[in-house]
Amino acid sequence: MDLSLNEMEQLVKNTARDFAERECPIEIVRGLDESESGFSPQIWQKMAEMGWAGMILPEKYGGSGASLTALGVLCEELGRAIVPSPLHSSSVLCGLAILEGGTDKQKETLLPAVAAGERILALAFTEAGYGWDAASVHMSATPRNSRFILNGTKVFVHDALVADQILCVARTSQSQNAEDGITLFLVDKQSPGVNCYSLPGFAGEKFCEVSFDKVEVPEANVVGEVGKGWAILQPVLEKGTVVLCAYMVGGCHRIWESTLEYCRTRVQFGVPIGNFQRVQDHVIDIVNALDAARWTTYEALWKIDNGKPEVSKAVSLAKAVTSEAYHQACNSSHEVHAGTGLSKEYHLYLYTKKARTFYHYLGSPSYHRQRLAELLEL
Amino acid sequence: MDFELHYSEGQEEFRKEVWTWLEANVPRFDLSSDGAKQSMAARQGAADFRRKLGTKGWLAPNWPKEYGGGGLSLAETIVIDEELSQWDVASTGDLGLSLGAPAIMVWGTEEQKKRFLPPILKGEITTWQCFTEPEAGSDLASLKTRAEWNGSEYVINGQKIFIGSPFPPDYIYTLAVTDPEAPRHRNIGAFIIPAKSPGVTIQPLKLIAGGGRNTIFYDNVRVSPDQLIGGKTDGWRVAQSTLEVEHGGGGRVVARDQVVDDLLAYYKEAKRSGKPLSRDSHIKERLVDLYIQSEIGRLFGLRGYWMRATKTRLVGYEGSQNALHGKKYFVNLATILLEVLGPTALVDDPKWAPLKGNLEYYQRFAACQHQGGTPEIQKVIIARRMGVSRTRETAAAMV
Repeated sequence: MDLSLNEMEQLVKNTARDFAERECPIEIVRGLDESESGFSPQIWQKMAEMGWAGMILPEKYGGSGASLTALGVLCEELGRAIVPSPLHSSSVLCGLAILEGGTDKQKETLLPAVAAGERILALAFTEAGYGWDAASVHMSATPRNSRFILNGTKVFVHDALVADQILCVARTSQSQNAEDGITLFLVDKQSPGVNCYSLPGFAGEKFCEVSFDKVEVPEANVVGEVGKGWAILQPVLEKGTVVLCAYMVGGCHRIWESTLEYCRTRVQFGVPIGNFQRVQDHVIDIVNALDAARWTTYEALWKIDNGKPEVSKAVSLAKAVTSEAYHQACNSSHEVHAGTGLSKEYHLYLYTKKARTFYHYLGSPSYHRQRLAELLEL
Repeated sequence: MDFELHYSEGQEEFRKEVWTWLEANVPRFDLSSDGAKQSMAARQGAADFRRKLGTKGWLAPNWPKEYGGGGLSLAETIVIDEELSQWDVASTGDLGLSLGAPAIMVWGTEEQKKRFLPPILKGEITTWQCFTEPEAGSDLASLKTRAEWNGSEYVINGQKIFIGSPFPPDYIYTLAVTDPEAPRHRNIGAFIIPAKSPGVTIQPLKLIAGGGRNTIFYDNVRVSPDQLIGGKTDGWRVAQSTLEVEHGGGGRVVARDQVVDDLLAYYKEAKRSGKPLSRDSHIKERLVDLYIQSEIGRLFGLRGYWMRATKTRLVGYEGSQNALHGKKYFVNLATILLEVLGPTALVDDPKWAPLKGNLEYYQRFAACQHQGGTPEIQKVIIARRMGVSRTRETAAAMV
């Protein structure tokens, strides 16, 4: 048993923290949040140069074959500074799906470009009846000649705005078992009939509606076997979920630090507000949420990396706990910060937007609790 | 990272040895977690078993041999813990071992360590920790028990309450004011007193839960100075070494909370109003939540164990965070037991009581979560250790 980071992971942590402080201070994050794309090609380029875009992809495809835990450590630091990037969509969700299900040719052409950050991919999964299980995939893809015709609308697609290609999850056949008949399509965003726009509102990501109007996709762009996409996607979604959790743990950590700092400096009734036990209770709620999120997340990462049994349980545990933890941490922090927390000149709202956005992403607490119930055979 | 304990072949061999020994030596009594309900025969059996374990060096496996420990490695200690947890021996009845001994180890003189530790660690004696007073509960530092120096001895007068166990003590580990003029926290001494000293009177309390607690009166109890642990006014800091452990700093390694798994199994089988209980989605949600909380508790315990075993310092609030989580968890568990089991949750009669029939004590112990520091006190400590609050503090010395 060893709950400390190993030398490599510690190095990743330090490097990522330095990088975030140097390249992506909070003013930059704020600026990007206000910008149309929410994306900085310069920061992404530098992240790719650090080798992060290919970190978990195999060396033969230009990656460095690191463990999911190491990537989690990186993402925790990126989440602490809320560095915006398509890393999670492109390298983790789509990159791993192609690695898992793609042909050699697809892997050889796509993965090195993904690892270099030159090509950005986004996963289009959820639809109007938002959900992350196989039964929530309704959008149809119909074969015609040597092509498929995609019709339908995906919504809340993260990073679609900056993606070159969309990995679209569609249904090629109906079946009793919702997991059968799902196929993955790699769609060029420039293809005729693809329309993408970012949804305005209080979201911490530029998530998009992506509509497909009779979009033609060549057979060569099917990832994996037709109708067998769920088997590819399911373990990838699990890995992606825990990496997302690590990003959220970083956010919780920053919220805890900020709230502590505020408690020590903000004076009311002639004393720092941290002197008041009612205020302390909020900070305690935050640290309890943070640590529950941290240890469930890292245990899930460890289980995946080491092929331990009951990975799905660990993943759903981590996501249910972490979504709620980040949300709780931000809410408690707002109570402590009061008016200051609303200010666009302060950073709390940026985290709150992330916490709200990731609450549902890759499955809400309620979804993962139900999944836990199923896994526990309740 | 590695969330798992690994055992060498030699350690697995050792596990077999431990198993074989336990099979031959574990007393076949119902050693209920609720000490007050144990029969005299069961208590005697538990005390005998503790002594046997101690003689093997397995009561304090990784403590040095010279002080009565087993001199074994951490891995072997965990093997023993794990194997012991397979048997229904919830209590061997001596807090002196887990709470008193660490304080003696940190603060005692070499002579005191040699005198007090071996009998404690070998399970030959029972030590009671006697801190709480009628007027000094959460505010322990306001205790009134007085230890006056008469030139050759300390003379102790006062009262302690809610202390001890149904196992009669040989020694009493207690706190008393040694310097009434000195400021708070610097006016207390820690003593180890033979329980048979003249002037010591013990009276059992009638409580709904708490494992057979007592009140104790000190009436001119004479104590020689070599039974003072630490300096004359070091008592508060000595107590902190105990409380650090008591406040969850020790952590623990357990696979899972067995009651939760039993409860989940019960839910799948039981019927209510003629229908399977598993159709009740409200209860299902609560059970999932309980499972989640038990997993968080398991991980907090694992973290504490790792911190203590490797002497890793994190921020310092972790022990109290673990304790706070455990206390809230226990109350929640008791409520869910009441809800899922229905009135049988209150019944001790094996004819009607479900699962292993030993669950009604949860309903009483849920009212007993102040032991070792109330949830509120744990929060006070967490806040201090995080560096908010009027008072700042760091974790106490711990072994």
